[in-house]
Amino acid sequence: MSTVPSLAPRIQDQTVGPARVLTLPTSVDDVVSWRASFLTYPDLAAGDHLRQKLTVSLLDKGTQQRDRFELAQVLEDCGAKLDLSSDGLYVDVSGRALADDVPKVMDVLAEMLRTPAFDPEEFEKARAQVAADLQRRMEKTGAQAASALTRRLFAAGHPNHSAAPEEQLRTLQQLTVEDVRAYHAHHFGAEEWTLAFAGDLDHDRIRSVVAEAFEGWAPHDAEPVHETEPSPEAPGRSVLPMPDKSNVDVRIGHALPLRRDDEAYPALYVGNYILGGNFAARLMNTVRDEKGLTYHIGSGLSGISTRYAGYWQASVTLSHEALEAGVEATLDVIEEFVDNGATAEELEAKKTTITGSYTVGLGTTRRLAQSILTTAERGFEMDYLDQFPRDIEALTLEEVNEAVRTYLRPQELHEARAGVRPEPVETPEHSASSR
Amino acid sequence: MTEVKSPPAVPSAFTFVESSQDIECYRLDDNGLRVLLLPQDGAPVATSMVTYHVGSRNERTGHTGATHMLEHLMFKGTERFHKRKGTSIFETLQRVGAEVNASTWVDRTNYYEMLPTEHLPLAFDIEADRMRNALLDPQDVESERTVILNERDRNQNDPVSRLFDEVWGAAFVAHPYHHPTIGWRSDIEGMTPDDLRSFYDTYYWPNNATLSIVGQFDRRETLEEVADQFGRLDAANHEIPQVTTDEPEQTGQRRVSVKQEGQLGAVLMGYKSPPATDPDSDVLDILARILASGKGSRLFRRCTDQGLTSDVFGVNFRLRDPSLFSVFAYLAPEAEHEEVEEAIRDEIESIRADGVTQDELDRARTQLRAQTAFDRDGSMRVASQLNEALAAGDWKLYTQYLDRLEEVTTADVQRAAQTYLQDDTSTIGWYVPTAQ
Repeated sequence: MSTVPSLAPRIQDQTVGPARVLTLPTSVDDVVSWRASFLTYPDLAAGDHLRQKLTVSLLDKGTQQRDRFELAQVLEDCGAKLDLSSDGLYVDVSGRALADDVPKVMDVLAEMLRTPAFDPEEFEKARAQVAADLQRRMEKTGAQAASALTRRLFAAGHPNHSAAPEEQLRTLQQLTVEDVRAYHAHHFGAEEWTLAFAGDLDHDRIRSVVAEAFEGWAPHDAEPVHETEPSPEAPGRSVLPMPDKSNVDVRIGHALPLRRDDEAYPALYVGNYILGGNFAARLMNTVRDEKGLTYHIGSGLSGISTRYAGYWQASVTLSHEALEAGVEATLDVIEEFVDNGATAEELEAKKTTITGSYTVGLGTTRRLAQSILTTAERGFEMDYLDQFPRDIEALTLEEVNEAVRTYLRPQELHEARAGVRPEPVETPEHSASSR
Repeated sequence: MTEVKSPPAVPSAFTFVESSQDIECYRLDDNGLRVLLLPQDGAPVATSMVTYHVGSRNERTGHTGATHMLEHLMFKGTERFHKRKGTSIFETLQRVGAEVNASTWVDRTNYYEMLPTEHLPLAFDIEADRMRNALLDPQDVESERTVILNERDRNQNDPVSRLFDEVWGAAFVAHPYHHPTIGWRSDIEGMTPDDLRSFYDTYYWPNNATLSIVGQFDRRETLEEVADQFGRLDAANHEIPQVTTDEPEQTGQRRVSVKQEGQLGAVLMGYKSPPATDPDSDVLDILARILASGKGSRLFRRCTDQGLTSDVFGVNFRLRDPSLFSVFAYLAPEAEHEEVEEAIRDEIESIRADGVTQDELDRARTQLRAQTAFDRDGSMRVASQLNEALAAGDWKLYTQYLDRLEEVTTADVQRAAQTYLQDDTSTIGWYVPTAQ
């Protein structure tokens, strides 16, 4: 195992007004990256997903102090990046700047989050933008298949559920600027407001910048109402025909009654890695390398958090001609893997892969800031950043295969296909059939 | 500016050639392999990248896609690194945590590994081995052919990817930038193992490659390792063929359209631009920023902010030979192609007629300067930038970039717009979605 310098002892963890601030100085010159988030607790079953998305998209379109161009100019004059996005229960913030410019960017961020203008004209533009994004998603076979699979596994109130774009477009048209104002009033606030910074920084300087920018930002009063467990349909297949597509995207998977802080998580993570985690994994080895049926195939644990359960999915892209053979080959590999388990050699190989790539992955300030924030969001101590490779090293073959047998269930697989050729007669918008 | 420092003490197998900023350039004397070193502080991680100076511009009719197909086959292994021995290239590199992949574009092919520094010798061993000992097994060619056709189909699913190919296909009639890097379908279907072997034996030699090493490493130890691994290879015993076709002058606008089922249209406007090493290429980078990068840019204000587009951006494709300065516009739901094209043309005309402000120029320069600092964050990003400079014909395009930008004036930007952004040398493409 490669020698990784410990991270946790170098991270300062401070409470600064309403914020938790985590800072890690690195050897990079003049660059600071950050990741930040707060909890919003949307009522997903009531359509808050789109309210939140629209609200976030309006944050950079003007505040009570500055119009949209003045805000943009602050960032563009110093080449800084600042992005806000809606991510289920959270609003996420990411960005980077030259070290001297961090104060002015934090100032703009605080203004956007706390005092957005929500101008009606800008609302109309933002809604049109969100509609355009949804329409573009409708053209993408990968997005369509992935979203269809989640609808088979999760109800609308679960953060992993992705409504059909057509349905989202209909909901979007009903929303008003008042909805957005109300959503901001009730769901935006310093609820577990956490900021992680990495790069050419000084702990104290960052602390005072955050203190000044976010002083007095109060938590909101929304409570968690999201569903936490999956509610899958009976195993079956969703088929989304799309004309003019030369390639079909397929997602195969099922729900997992597992959270990120479950003891079995590391073993299942490694088990999945052996099956479909990288180019050298079994799915890639067999379906791409040996059979030449696909350009891309892989599998992963998805949407698993400490707050709710997620799912396991394999994804494969196939030409129309190779569709049936490709799906069959994928299922064969999955079944064989679950039946017979991983080998000791595979486990050893993937252990060094995961611990080595962990070291490699922490080579940029962006990835460091992300890892620190994710660790904080999960409620883990910062020591976990150093502990993770050791936990992986300690796994036994029995633990990995037990987790695979317990959690991966080939007989419960669902499937979603997007991009198949439409039937010439009787073309339902979405058809479903049992497998 | 380039400063030739006194050469550091290095193993005798190498000649120090020059340095620029903090990058040092060496030549492995026995076979002409060029080596670039950029040592960085930080985590014990480094990136090793081999850039071959061959891309789809080197392909001939009937053999389009050969460069990319060969890139795939290079992962199928050698006698020493092979799946049947449990030592496939991916398996061996990923086992130590390497991020490994390769990419092919018009002017170059690159193979890279970002990995813990202690495993750099493994990366050199594999890259040196497959530089001359790739098996290119006919069975592997067959199975990989299907994989590549699937990759091509995936690209074809995306109408804007088709539009891109159509615009370049129309803009270049003689020069090989005409054909897509992945190749025409029939050429991929017809490529034989012998074709690939011949391509490999023509271009894959140490004297047609550059090895770049970026990250935390010891200079001497690393160069010794490079000499051990790559020094065993001979230089090519033939001249590496060069592309000699010049694209004839374009004297009138060309138009193409792609019709495919979909939701929202797109417009791509490509203008003939100079080679990457031409100083005007720096000016066009600035112009692309001012015109269509970020919320302060002219086209964001004119198009996206006004509800004509959902996204609009400019890219100055800096290539070895004359290329295309391009503006991509994704139409908003109610917008028409004509009005978006007209708006873009209006803004271009305004810059041609009235130029840009000093503020716009300063802002563009600051953004590019910040971007350059961001790109130094991590070894892979640096290697990737260096790769494109190598492909364009001069690796110092990377190190001298900020100095050259300092020399650009507002008058240069206006002159470049007048010189290159002309209707007669443009190729306009529309993606027109058809209903289901």
